[in-house]
Amino acid sequence: MTTTPTTQTAAPLPRVRVRDLPVEQQRAIRARQLRRAGTYAVAIAVALWILLPIWLIGTLAFSAPADVRAYPKQAAPIPFSTETMEFFLNAEGVLPATRNSIVVAGLTLLLSTAISAPAGYAIARYFFRGRDAYRLSILAVRAFPIVILAVPLAVTFRTVGIYDEVYSVALMHTALTLPTTILVVSSVFASVPRELEEAAKVFGCNAVEAFWRVVLPLALPGVAASAIFTFVMSWNEVFAAVVLTLENRTLPALILYNLDKSGDPFKFAGGFFMLVPSLIFIFFVRRYLFNMWGQITK
Amino acid sequence: MKFRNMNWAPYLLLLPSFVYLILFFGWPMVQALGLAFRRDSQILPLRAEPAVEEAAVTGELERGTTVEVLDVEVFETQRAGGLLTDRVFWLEVSGTDPEGETITGWVLRGQVFVADASRSNEGAVRANSVTLRAEPAQSAEAVAELPRGTEVDILEWGKTENRIAADGLLQKPQNWLLVSGETAEGEAVEGWVERAPIFVEDATISATGRVQAGEGSKEWTLDYVKRMVRDAKFSQSLRTTVILILLILPVQFVLAIIMALVLQSQIKFSSLFLYIYAIPLGISDLAAGLVWYTIFTQSGYLNSLLQSLGLIDRPFIFISSANKEWIILAIVLAEIWRATSIVMVIVVSGLQAIPRDYLEAGELFGASLWQRLRHIILPLLKPSLQVALILRTILAFQVFAVVVAISGGDVITVLANEAYRWYDIGAYNNKNVAAAYSGFIMLLSLGVAVFYLRAVRTQEEREAAG
Repeated sequence: MTTTPTTQTAAPLPRVRVRDLPVEQQRAIRARQLRRAGTYAVAIAVALWILLPIWLIGTLAFSAPADVRAYPKQAAPIPFSTETMEFFLNAEGVLPATRNSIVVAGLTLLLSTAISAPAGYAIARYFFRGRDAYRLSILAVRAFPIVILAVPLAVTFRTVGIYDEVYSVALMHTALTLPTTILVVSSVFASVPRELEEAAKVFGCNAVEAFWRVVLPLALPGVAASAIFTFVMSWNEVFAAVVLTLENRTLPALILYNLDKSGDPFKFAGGFFMLVPSLIFIFFVRRYLFNMWGQITK
Repeated sequence: MKFRNMNWAPYLLLLPSFVYLILFFGWPMVQALGLAFRRDSQILPLRAEPAVEEAAVTGELERGTTVEVLDVEVFETQRAGGLLTDRVFWLEVSGTDPEGETITGWVLRGQVFVADASRSNEGAVRANSVTLRAEPAQSAEAVAELPRGTEVDILEWGKTENRIAADGLLQKPQNWLLVSGETAEGEAVEGWVERAPIFVEDATISATGRVQAGEGSKEWTLDYVKRMVRDAKFSQSLRTTVILILLILPVQFVLAIIMALVLQSQIKFSSLFLYIYAIPLGISDLAAGLVWYTIFTQSGYLNSLLQSLGLIDRPFIFISSANKEWIILAIVLAEIWRATSIVMVIVVSGLQAIPRDYLEAGELFGASLWQRLRHIILPLLKPSLQVALILRTILAFQVFAVVVAISGGDVITVLANEAYRWYDIGAYNNKNVAAAYSGFIMLLSLGVAVFYLRAVRTQEEREAAG
């Protein structure tokens, strides 16, 4: 906001030293430089605010258990040790719970994408009666505290006999992520030029072929980004998971359930272990973030 | 839009999502209301007389109520062609019903769990036959069989541990007896057998018990809601949730707008900054709670820092029941840290939608950053901010894992945590009250959404009129 790159002062002239300019211009340039420096200072401060706590828990996760319990704490993992992390990974139930989490998130990803892709395509490409009503209700559902519905759903799952199953958590997580995924996928499809699809039809593709050969390849990166985000949402979700499972805990549910029984090394290593995927996944989907969340305001 | 040729394709494409949301969104909502407002088989009617099916009901006790046992009557019925007498125990109990009145009446022995039935040492087999086992467990090796009616001496009373069965339900501890008796062949044997198929003679019954079964119909009730509201933790959790919202949201919005402006200001490495600012989007509330726990725990980073600066000489205990403000502060910081990114992304999308000319015009006329913010950016950003506000408030009503991770969920509690505690088998194990909490959170969210939307509309009307 503070600077615009190519405006009046800079343009085609040979290099001019600032101190040769009239005083007002000098002042204006100084002020601009100052503002720019201020912007960088704020940008870096905010980045530190986000990164520093991650660094701290990472430090603890990669210090030896004795250092983890030590006080005052060290600010960097020196000496570096994987002992705490190994202790966490070998703790009872952690590996099965991690596997459960991956299975749940994977199932959620598949189910959510399979259901939302056609719906998103329909909203993006067709005009039909009830389209706006559907979109609006999806927006409303999106803002609804769906997670809280895990409690009544657990009772239903018990009667039906699918309580404490990995796939039943995935069913709930799909409901949780579906509204977001539908909106995102529809915006992804909407960004694929309609002309390309029509051209494909002109050259003899039927609707399905045109979708398969032209639209899908173009939409794939966006759909993949949304799928990744679905995975992360499911991987992170804890309330529904802890309500819907007893023995087949997902990782967050296991950690939450054992919080009061476990020591600091377990908590720190667990906390860090849970946030690693988000560091990686967000990197891949960052270009699509505004597609995903910007959608919601329209 | 033309509807000349009705095209069914979009409806077919929407169908799966529609069905899915009905199943996993619509139905649980109905179920939540049913659980919160319908009573089912949790109420034990007390009868005016023992052993009479149609005896008048004197009152009803809720499951879990503690009762006093006033009297015991034993009725003998002949079973299996008169070979065996079955004894049925009726207890006269008194307890406090949900309305707070003390009522007295008769119930069957099995409907009330009596804590310490005194243990007699004589009994008889009342099932068709029982298998004696080497250990008090179903899986243990079978030692012998005893036929119905065999008299046994009870040598020892044992109890199994709490355990989770294969179907995921908690199994109550089972009573096992070590008995000795004679088999049909006249051989003396000894082994463990479950309590249930053995009739224990003259077991006297202790003075207190707990209602554990019930009958009754589905009927509308406000009991669960009343129970939720009367619970001391209810107002506490509601207050904390609201306080958290009031403390978190303003800071969050200011910070999000600053972050968005920074990202939009065409600085170098802006894609790196975008990545860093977006990281919290993918961090779970539990992980965020644990991250801030490392800072605020007694031997944590905050104390380490203060100590190395010489400001304190021994660690200060931030997270304790005496320092609730510090716990709240830790939760507030963790939530701001974790959940500001969502607001930021929405604000950035809103900023991108503002025509560049407006901003450049402002700059050209020499408006300061604050003036541009106040008169150009914020007014144009209003729709985005409203959406973000609704979304964040509703999400804040569900705040759960952050609170549990930082405070353990005991000293400081929030609505979602109470819903979980009422649901939890290890805690209160009452799905009805838990569902009442769910319904309450839904209602609050709905109320907030309606409130915000109306506030926006009246404001627009006022602006249009003025």
